[in-house]
Amino acid sequence: MNSGIDLQGTFVQSLSDFGISTELAKILWMPFPMLLMLIGATVGVLVNVWLERKISAAVQQRIGPEFAGPLGVLQPVADGLKLVFKEDILPAKADPFLFTMGPILVVMPVFLSYLIVPFGQNLVITNINTGIFLWIALSSIVPIGLLMAGYASNNKYSLIGGLRAAAQSISYEIPLALSVLAIVLMSNSLSTIDIVEQQSGYGILSWNVWRQPIGFVIFWISALAECERLPFDLPEAEEELVAGYQTEYSGMKFALFYVGSYVNLVLSALMVAILYLGGWSSPIPIELLSNLAGVDPASSWLQVVGASLGIAMTILKAYFLVFLAILTRWTVPRVRIDQLLNLGWKFLLPIALANLLITAALKLAFPTAFGG
Amino acid sequence: MQIAEGVQLVTFAILSILLVGAALGVVLFANIVYSAFLLGGVFISMAGIYILLNADFVSAAQILVYVGAVNVLILFAIMLVNKREDFKPLKNGWIRQGSTAVVCAGLFALLSAVSIVTPWSISTVSPLASSVVPIAKHFFTDFLLPFELASILLLMSMVGAIILARRDFLPDNLGATSTQDSLTLPERPRELVGK
Amino acid sequence: MLKFLKQVVDYTKETANAAKYIGQGLAVTFDHMQRRPVTVQYPYEKLIPSERFRGRIHFEFDKCISCEVCVRVCPINLPVVDYEFDKASKKKKLNSYSIDFGVCIFCGNCVEYCPTNCLSMTEEYELATFDRHELNYDSVALGRLPTKVTDDPMVTALRTLAYLPKGVMDPHDLPAGSQRANSNK
Repeated sequence: MNSGIDLQGTFVQSLSDFGISTELAKILWMPFPMLLMLIGATVGVLVNVWLERKISAAVQQRIGPEFAGPLGVLQPVADGLKLVFKEDILPAKADPFLFTMGPILVVMPVFLSYLIVPFGQNLVITNINTGIFLWIALSSIVPIGLLMAGYASNNKYSLIGGLRAAAQSISYEIPLALSVLAIVLMSNSLSTIDIVEQQSGYGILSWNVWRQPIGFVIFWISALAECERLPFDLPEAEEELVAGYQTEYSGMKFALFYVGSYVNLVLSALMVAILYLGGWSSPIPIELLSNLAGVDPASSWLQVVGASLGIAMTILKAYFLVFLAILTRWTVPRVRIDQLLNLGWKFLLPIALANLLITAALKLAFPTAFGG
Repeated sequence: MQIAEGVQLVTFAILSILLVGAALGVVLFANIVYSAFLLGGVFISMAGIYILLNADFVSAAQILVYVGAVNVLILFAIMLVNKREDFKPLKNGWIRQGSTAVVCAGLFALLSAVSIVTPWSISTVSPLASSVVPIAKHFFTDFLLPFELASILLLMSMVGAIILARRDFLPDNLGATSTQDSLTLPERPRELVGK
Repeated sequence: MLKFLKQVVDYTKETANAAKYIGQGLAVTFDHMQRRPVTVQYPYEKLIPSERFRGRIHFEFDKCISCEVCVRVCPINLPVVDYEFDKASKKKKLNSYSIDFGVCIFCGNCVEYCPTNCLSMTEEYELATFDRHELNYDSVALGRLPTKVTDDPMVTALRTLAYLPKGVMDPHDLPAGSQRANSNK
């Protein structure tokens, strides 16, 4: 179980050698992964914004951001700085407290969900037993923030946008949870680490996509709907609702919504990578390669290489899915609200239920292939 | 164990203050939307206390069910109805409020007396690493009947909701049928078995 | 029972078709990613307007005989021709002439019908101002000649598709040396 490098163990060990108590050393260790994750998520957003603009431009035969830095990589930074320095406008009859709380409630759970994203055997902030369930629970807080923002803006577009967003969030949470449940059924654990471990036996062949193709598609569609990505972005459908619940927001509060939506997209992509694409495991298992090359699997440099490869793999898979989401954005037109709810309740939900039942049946019939 | 206990105590204090404050807010705010949002705060602080008691699954379920579904539903109801009604100040309204306060204070005194007097048996068993498996075992052995009954109840309410939502109103002769009860709309008769 | 089965089959087919069409759409967008951008970096590069481009109207004061044909053919009678009749020479004497380009639709009727060809189209299209009244050009402003795109040292002039040699689709792709519509570079 505890193979791979254990940075926390090493850190605590070395501090204990200096005569600091183990508990204190653990507390001293705690801020590092959190800060790293916070910075990582924010940088991920910047990369995501840049990618979105570049890929959108390529799809439409444009060039996209070009002048801010090489290939325009500094463009998102410039956007962010602009939002920071913009005036923070509070509409005259808005509810000031709820107006401020809304974006905070939207962003907080998304960042909190990064607690359970593993990048390697020990490269996770907390390996709690309810891992993936915690993510589903946290993502159900977001609609409250959206409702709050919609209500507090004192604007009919905002209110309708907020209500739509909340309705969409609640409806698509169910197929999402059901497809996650099928995965959990196969790996016998809610912990993200165990889910990845269970897929790591035979490289690309043991990934969950091959055993859960329907679940994969359902999960990805629901995740897109949860993130309000384009085929399902009708809470902020600009032709009807100006900008939905974000209409009255500007400056830093708008930036929070903006960051929240992109962090959520990256998070969903990471979740798909973890649940279905084998997380940090590479397509060809690294143990196999080291055996072929005749390297001792316990040697420290191999562990370092393995860990970096794991991080790179997770991020690569996630960004491949982000690319897919952007491509979908320019391919599929926006659905109507009734089409959205029909798709969620009458199509995805029954299929997700059937998928869960089939998975349970297959698990009973072939316990070796479907995690007995 | 010194630091861990201290952290636990401080967290418990913060969560309790949040919980009680939010609960008081739910009851005392005149604005119903504030009350509904604070109800979410109550549920979240309760989930925090569950985490403090090593019940991580229960706390996540608490957030998912109560914050994600129940509270959002309440908010939906409030925001969709959106009826603003100015109530006339009641004459001698303070009697009502005063008696409510007395009853609540009495109830609080009674409950606190009970909780202080009762010799609680504090479990010394070290907490389980994962509460998911024991909960599932209970669900499928000694709590099977309540579990299934709860699911049947939910199914019944779902069927009821679908029947309510699928009613076909007759909008064209709304004015003609004023003889009907004023609270019901004329409904199109529908055969129970689909075509 | 059979009817129900048929419904299920139809529904499944529809779903499969929907998935297929989305896949085809994704293939189209993916294919577009490898195509060259059609972007013209506007303030630095400009396309050369064609000969029949209908830009801002040029007016030659001395040629005008104040016949007011331009006013008559204009869909909204836009040109303002201010003249007085000179009894001595029995000719109209033009005092001033103006066209408001905030209202003009650049249909070119006035240019078409002008008997003395004192009106003509230029290739100027950058008319933006901060005040719409500045768009009301008097005879002096109308008499100015615009800078040609090919004469502007700040601008790389690009040929439009019809003026490119056979086989070249993009003005950026012209072989070195052949891209010289620009006289001063």
